[in-house]
Amino acid sequence: MGVPVKENLELQSRKGLRVSDILVTVLVSLVFGIVYHFWGSVYSLLKPFQADELLYGMWFAAATLAFLLIRKPGVAIIAELAAAHVEVLFGSGWGLTLLMYGLIQGLGAELVFAAFRYRNYSVWVAAAAGAVAALGSMVLDFYYSYTDDLESWLFIAKYGMRILSGAVIAGLLMVLLAKALERTGVTALLRPASSKDYEALDDPRHG
Amino acid sequence: MSFWGPVRHTWLHRTNPVVKLGVICLLFFMTVLTHDLDVIIYQAMIFTVCLLLLSGIQPWKMLLFLIPFMMAFLASASSMMLFGKGDTIWWQWGLFKISEESFYRGLHLGFKGIAFAAEGLLLVTTTQSVDLFYALMQKLKLRPKYAYSFMASIRLLPMVWEEFLIRRQALKVRGVQPARGPRRLVVRAGLYVVPLLAQSIRRAHRVAAAMEAKQFDGDRSQARTYYYPSQYSRYDVLTVGLLAAAVCCAYAGASYYPWFGIGDVRFN
Repeated sequence: MGVPVKENLELQSRKGLRVSDILVTVLVSLVFGIVYHFWGSVYSLLKPFQADELLYGMWFAAATLAFLLIRKPGVAIIAELAAAHVEVLFGSGWGLTLLMYGLIQGLGAELVFAAFRYRNYSVWVAAAAGAVAALGSMVLDFYYSYTDDLESWLFIAKYGMRILSGAVIAGLLMVLLAKALERTGVTALLRPASSKDYEALDDPRHG
Repeated sequence: MSFWGPVRHTWLHRTNPVVKLGVICLLFFMTVLTHDLDVIIYQAMIFTVCLLLLSGIQPWKMLLFLIPFMMAFLASASSMMLFGKGDTIWWQWGLFKISEESFYRGLHLGFKGIAFAAEGLLLVTTTQSVDLFYALMQKLKLRPKYAYSFMASIRLLPMVWEEFLIRRQALKVRGVQPARGPRRLVVRAGLYVVPLLAQSIRRAHRVAAAMEAKQFDGDRSQARTYYYPSQYSRYDVLTVGLLAAAVCCAYAGASYYPWFGIGDVRFN
């Protein structure tokens, strides 16, 4: 009985992302994307004062939440691309710009999860992923808006707030949200059966 | 959608989405790497003209797009003008400081924003999402499971909106007080977020199971056929030529009739 169980586990890990993983990631991110869309217009009014930076972590939230739910490689990038894709759907001129930001932010978060071999789902890792996603957006900012030519005090304040916000909103807040979703039981649909589940089947008490 | 629908089909509509995506991405990189104020002004102007001509949308409707353009201009220009690095100071008040360099850099960013928006809209206003994904699958070998998941999720979105309305009614029936004040607003948002996400996940999972059963993932099929075949045509060549000509015009305009002639706007 032990052999088919092992084979089954290996088969699952080799298959990578399944349609269900991708569709859940994309749909959750699209919901985020729509929130971004309506909130973005209010938010751009704050822009000249840099106050928007404190909420910036929201833009990386889709990546960490999707990873915390699905726990597989690649979902962070897909999540960010899907959230940015909403703007393309709405026919916004920023669609392509946001797709590039989404790609690099998702990549940033993905790298952190990969560094822990996709096995660590703690607050600290999620916070680090949010912070690195913020760094990714900073690098693009240098090209898009020359923010490295801002006065130093503003530069430090701007990106300090952004990284902090990435860690708190995309990290802490999303871990709490993922926990709340776990309590509803939906995550059981998404996680592949672990070896522990198969061992439970092998329990002699079940005959 | 019908309001923004094109009244006529231009070359750009007939171009293969993959070609369009490639060309527009190249234009994007060009604009990202442009640091000369004159070049960027010409780029912004020429691509706006291209957009008015090629989007196929009535020009007066297109003018409505000017509103976000102006907002973007102000947002990206103002903070750089007020807080940018520079040596030749024109005006200073507390932390605000406008210098010659930061002023021109702010102006540059404003026009850069317009150029990005015009390029992005060239793609977005002339391409249907479904066509783009079908072209990506056929021409760039994007795995069908990604393309179909994206397309399916677009159709699932109205259901998420329905769930939102149901949740709102449910809360009303249960006598939950309407939100007043910022703290109540946060609590209220919490009442929506978890149920909506949980329902979306359940629904997406059910749809995905059905899609897998119907082989939408394409893991096992070798040769796939597509309902919408995606082909290259002569319009691809025309579009590439036209946009290349637009780029040449921008650079020629900047070198023969420069407005400012100050070169690179970056500090140092």
